Amino acid sequence: MIETQEPARYRQRRRRKLTFARLSFYAFLALIAVAWAYIFVEGDSGFTLLLEGRTWENAGKFLTRLAGAGQDERPAFLQPEQWWATGRLAYNTLAMSVLAIGIAGLGAFLTFIFAARNISSGSLGGTPSRLGAVVYYFLRILYAFTRAVPELVWAMLIVFFLSPGILPGALALGVHNLGIMGRLAAEVVEDMDPAPARAMRASGAGIFQIFLYAILPQTLPHFITYLLYRWEVVIRTTVVVGFVSAGGLGLEMRLNLSFFHYDQVTLLILWYLLLVTGVDFLSAWMRKMARFE
Amino acid sequence: MRPARPLLESPHFLSLLLLGAVAWSLTGVAWGEPLLHTGGGDSALDMLLALFPPDLSPAFLLVCLQAAWHTLSIALASITLAVLIGFPLGVMASGALVSPDSRLRAPLMLSSRFVLGTVRSIHELVWAVLLVAAIGLSPLAAIVALGLPYAGILGRIYAEFLEDTPEEPLTALRSAGASSWQTLIFGRLPLCTPDLVSYTFYRFECSIRSAAILSFVGIRGIGYEIQLSLGDLLFSQVWTLLLALLAIVALVDFWSGRVRQSLLES
Repeated sequence: MIETQEPARYRQRRRRKLTFARLSFYAFLALIAVAWAYIFVEGDSGFTLLLEGRTWENAGKFLTRLAGAGQDERPAFLQPEQWWATGRLAYNTLAMSVLAIGIAGLGAFLTFIFAARNISSGSLGGTPSRLGAVVYYFLRILYAFTRAVPELVWAMLIVFFLSPGILPGALALGVHNLGIMGRLAAEVVEDMDPAPARAMRASGAGIFQIFLYAILPQTLPHFITYLLYRWEVVIRTTVVVGFVSAGGLGLEMRLNLSFFHYDQVTLLILWYLLLVTGVDFLSAWMRKMARFE
Repeated sequence: MRPARPLLESPHFLSLLLLGAVAWSLTGVAWGEPLLHTGGGDSALDMLLALFPPDLSPAFLLVCLQAAWHTLSIALASITLAVLIGFPLGVMASGALVSPDSRLRAPLMLSSRFVLGTVRSIHELVWAVLLVAAIGLSPLAAIVALGLPYAGILGRIYAEFLEDTPEEPLTALRSAGASSWQTLIFGRLPLCTPDLVSYTFYRFECSIRSAAILSFVGIRGIGYEIQLSLGDLLFSQVWTLLLALLAIVALVDFWSGRVRQSLLES
């Protein structure tokens, strides 16, 4: 008797618990359907272009011109001096990405400890205070805001008051990543093993000593690993902030596209891919150094 | 005692390297010239003060709502495309479809991994600029530009999830005579559904932000409106638009959190 009841009860419980996820799934599918319908109904979706021969002809022309065919002189990506000339831009772009990571890393490093709940509540050491709580909420909101505004929008705002160069781009990328890094680092502190800090507090250490000898050694490897991961993302995004005149390869890419210098665009994309691969490689190498023992 | 590491692998060397790199990057800044534009400080202040209050007139809120829906619809459409491309490629890249000793296995896995890696390494905005140059300005260009790199990311992560499924249930299926396809459909997929769903949801969140900035190339949406308002120096409108973007992302974040929770409970 009992044996036949068990599976039935189990099935019923399972069905009830899945409701929200399943409901969300259907709601999501409905949203997708509405979105596609909207794209097709509202104005020119561009999908009819796919049926026209002209579109494919243009796309083919664009690709051959990217490949440097059909022009009198040698394509830019086959001329060593062009590589040299654009190499300076790649160098600047790399500097921009490193500076951005420096800004994000420094900003997050100086603040993340106050944004961890177990620090502001005093469960790791120090005394809980109203100021600590205020700082905690302020930092969490600051992180959320800087993170939620895309780096491109930051760049659009920053080029309004900073002179062109690598600084506006680096600042835009840095501010956005500050929010990401701060949150990740604070969460590392919240998840860390509290035993060393508590042991130090029990033996009379001050908050600064606890930070230096208990919290930092545990969190710094994570922090640096995250920072290096973010660097891989940042180098990909440097090109994008360049589009809004924040300097580097992106600016040149956009200019060349508007002048129809497509072989130059190919050269810049090649540099971009080189930078991305190089940074991925460097970051993997350095992450290995930061690994734990 | 810890075994000594060679100098090149020691954490102190890494710290020095990182600090040195940042110091080097500072040399790229033109410190000699003024860092601010003439009047740049004033416009920065204007921008900040425009937050109090942002433009909340009904007419502009309607513009915001429309732009938000535009952005959301592009994000939804492109995530569908990304799943449609990324899922089959991810399954191929995981090698779940071919038996381990098949000669086809390595070429299939490597080629699908290569495709996923290539589309992923180019940023969506670069895709957008290239596609607009190739096929013209339309929602289609935006959807494909977002869909391709997202397919690369989703495919890679799907492949990892499929590879990480526990072996025991799969072995049980295989010994009962299930083919690779049957192992995939009745073994691997059900086992990692929660991971697949919650990761896709997370990427959908990201795609909203990406769709918002994608309108920079001229596709309507929040980013486009931000650009227009910035061009007219209407900073209070910029703030409203930014807050609208924050609101959508926060809403989706909340939703996906609930979904994840409910998936974990079941």
